[in-house]
Amino acid sequence: MSISEQERLARIRINAFLYFRADWLKRLIDIFGSAQEILKQDAQTLAQQAQMNPSTAAHFLRDAFAVNPQEELEKTQKYGGRILVPEDEDYPQSLRDIKEAPIALYVLGKLPPNKAYIGMVGTRKITAYGRRVANTLSTGLTQAGAVVVSGLARGIDSECHSAAVRLQKPTIAVIGTGIGRCYPPENRELARAILQHGGAIVSELPFNKPPHAFHFPRRNRIIAALSELVVVVEGEVKSGALITAKLALEMGKDVLAVPGPIDSPQSGGPNNLIKDGAGVVTTVKDIIDYIPSPQLFDLQMQETPQSQETDESLPPLQQKIMQFIATSEVSADQVVEEMGLSVQEAATALFELEVKGLLSCKAGLYSKSKF
Amino acid sequence: MLASIQTCALKGIDGFEVTAEVDISSGMPTFSVVGLPDAEVKESKDRVIAAIRNSGFDFPLKRITVNLSPAELRKSGTQFDLAIAVGILAASEALSEKAVEKAKQLLFLGELALDGSLRPCAGVLPMLISVKNTGKTVIVPPANILEAQTSTVPFVTPRTLRDLADWLEGKKEDESVKVSFLPEQEEQSISSLDFCDVKGQAVAKRALEIAAAGGHNVLMIGLPGTGKSMLAKRFPGILPPLCEEEILEITKIYSVCNLIGKTKKLTHRPFRDPHHTISDVALIGGGSTPKPGEVSLAHNGVLFLDEFAEFSRTTLEVLRQPLENGTVTISRAKETVSYPARFTLIAAMNPCPCGNLGNPHKACTCSPMQINRYQSKISGPLLDRIDLTVNLNPVQYGDWNKPSEGETTAQIRARVISAREIQQKRFKGTPTTANAFMTQKQIKEFCPLPAGADSILETAMRKFGLSARSLDKVLKTARTIADLEGKANIENTHLIEVLQYRPLDRKGVPDL
Repeated sequence: MSISEQERLARIRINAFLYFRADWLKRLIDIFGSAQEILKQDAQTLAQQAQMNPSTAAHFLRDAFAVNPQEELEKTQKYGGRILVPEDEDYPQSLRDIKEAPIALYVLGKLPPNKAYIGMVGTRKITAYGRRVANTLSTGLTQAGAVVVSGLARGIDSECHSAAVRLQKPTIAVIGTGIGRCYPPENRELARAILQHGGAIVSELPFNKPPHAFHFPRRNRIIAALSELVVVVEGEVKSGALITAKLALEMGKDVLAVPGPIDSPQSGGPNNLIKDGAGVVTTVKDIIDYIPSPQLFDLQMQETPQSQETDESLPPLQQKIMQFIATSEVSADQVVEEMGLSVQEAATALFELEVKGLLSCKAGLYSKSKF
Repeated sequence: MLASIQTCALKGIDGFEVTAEVDISSGMPTFSVVGLPDAEVKESKDRVIAAIRNSGFDFPLKRITVNLSPAELRKSGTQFDLAIAVGILAASEALSEKAVEKAKQLLFLGELALDGSLRPCAGVLPMLISVKNTGKTVIVPPANILEAQTSTVPFVTPRTLRDLADWLEGKKEDESVKVSFLPEQEEQSISSLDFCDVKGQAVAKRALEIAAAGGHNVLMIGLPGTGKSMLAKRFPGILPPLCEEEILEITKIYSVCNLIGKTKKLTHRPFRDPHHTISDVALIGGGSTPKPGEVSLAHNGVLFLDEFAEFSRTTLEVLRQPLENGTVTISRAKETVSYPARFTLIAAMNPCPCGNLGNPHKACTCSPMQINRYQSKISGPLLDRIDLTVNLNPVQYGDWNKPSEGETTAQIRARVISAREIQQKRFKGTPTTANAFMTQKQIKEFCPLPAGADSILETAMRKFGLSARSLDKVLKTARTIADLEGKANIENTHLIEVLQYRPLDRKGVPDL
């Protein structure tokens, strides 16, 4: 089943009305037969036929006619992207299956076919622990052949995407702005890298739509729908990550959570999920084991060497520093003072550990980058 | 009658000789001053009239014209009062011929109070230095005696106009003609503020030691209460002693600003810590009649800018020229002057507006946007001129409680001095004074890379986003570390240590 070009343009128009859920728009299309028909109505008839408030109907038409669908298409194509509608073959089946399937889906890059999509979500206020976990899990999943789906936000999202990008493997970012924008702006480089390594950037919002608070819960349903299951790495008790988890549960998908320190606000969300029966993640294998039908995907669990083993190949001083840092965040000062080193010795050892990728330094504090 | 009396004026921090010509002729009683006088010079008329009357002389009720020559140069300051008064006394024949002859061989500086006593004026030292080779004896207000002594020019310090007149007439024996001498140089007192008072913060202390040894600028980023100000205030203590030439330079600037006597002895390196609400002009110097700013007052010393990110952006940007050239050139419609401004910048800032970013005990309430905006107030070009950045983390209670066992200021200073000696030998015969001021050519000559350095620097560029432009400052700083260790060449460990003092990654974006 395919639709005419005219209908596609009309769909792009009605998709621009963000105050309706996608299933409402779908209902409108069903009532009138096609999006083109809807746009031929005046506000009065629209309101009557679809039993809407007349002012909402007027608003709907105003927003729909405010976009130039031709231009939306051209801009998207200029960036090598496409605007998919559910009737298109490439439109992801997993999205088509949900009640609120996006009327139009802007896709930059391409959605890797036949891969296990794993949603990984979490807080923007990332802790060193969250960074370590996100990095390790995302790296492991990507190496195993899965594709990590996240939201390109600050914190956990960025960590997950960049772990995949570092392996030069695809990852999917579902964003809360139009695909013509990047939010947060510092992730522009990351977005570019995602496309470069065969990943995709996906949004249902009009091309140049700026970020808005209500866009984000909406896009979370797309993350949940695309993914086989959702892993919550870190998140406050009330957070976007938990919205994604809730949506995934409603769609009948598994939600896994990474346990964290019980006194860390960022681990409140996942810890609560575990209490409510969510799967517990401590290794990459835990996630892979939860994939409903793993035989559909080409997954290869790689033996991830435990960090204790790699530590042994390090020179004694660096080993000691790694043991000293353990799971905490430590300043260079602490290394100097607690271990009785000179600044130069400490600097040399920390530099080498950082170059080896075992440590990362944020705001002057060193923590392990893997576990 | 006509009389011409010598005095001095200032341009920038240099003086030039001025002749005050006074003509008294019959006619309507008027008193005018010509020769591009500024407001304070024009006002000198009223002071001179009162001072002459209150010193027991008659003020001539005639037509008085005072010309300050060279007439095309702008004159500001209050030091002309005395020359004008003596000129009027001479021209009105209130002084004997013998006294006038004597006065012609002298040079007069001083502001007059209405009762005829001499008040201090600004810029005495540079003016005296500029007339040193004329061999003239100079009349200086008693309060400016320190500068007069520093200048090694013969001088007399009468208390009042009357005393001066009596001395000129030979009525009073001259007990105040002083043999010039330099004030004895005292050993800097370092007792009150010592580095061993600062608990923990080994990395910051080390960075300051490197900064002192090589003249590098430092940015300290840390939570409130981690000891940023404490460290900065102790920094001048570890700087090497001033040489005589430097003392003279500093004293000249302070003299122009009329700050001598109000600050500590000028044998100390200046420490200036302006508040962050300071205006551009106050920081850099300027005004319609240019005056040195804080950067010049910090010349050969330390400029400490606390709450660095709270300074207005334009104020920070004006720092770029002095940081680069060591001078400030102020161009105004009337004149262009240059003031020396070679200082070590110690800047301190919080990591974020609320000050809690990275605090293990308190959550930061700033949005990433706010943090970004706050940190990017320090522009790239400005950061490029700061060689060392250190992060200060809160001191653990255990550390705080420890008895002081850190190194003392004297110990650190000894190492700094020996590193500076190596540099002095290295840069002999060039204008460069320390590693931080090396030119491109000198970097090539004195900072050869050791084997294996390429891969370190390449990694640093890739991993820490080190720009090619900042490679130079890495080399300069590594050179200083090598000097502190007395090594002839830079070694890899030196380079790695410098990389420890790299600026914060701005955006918190994970590496790709």
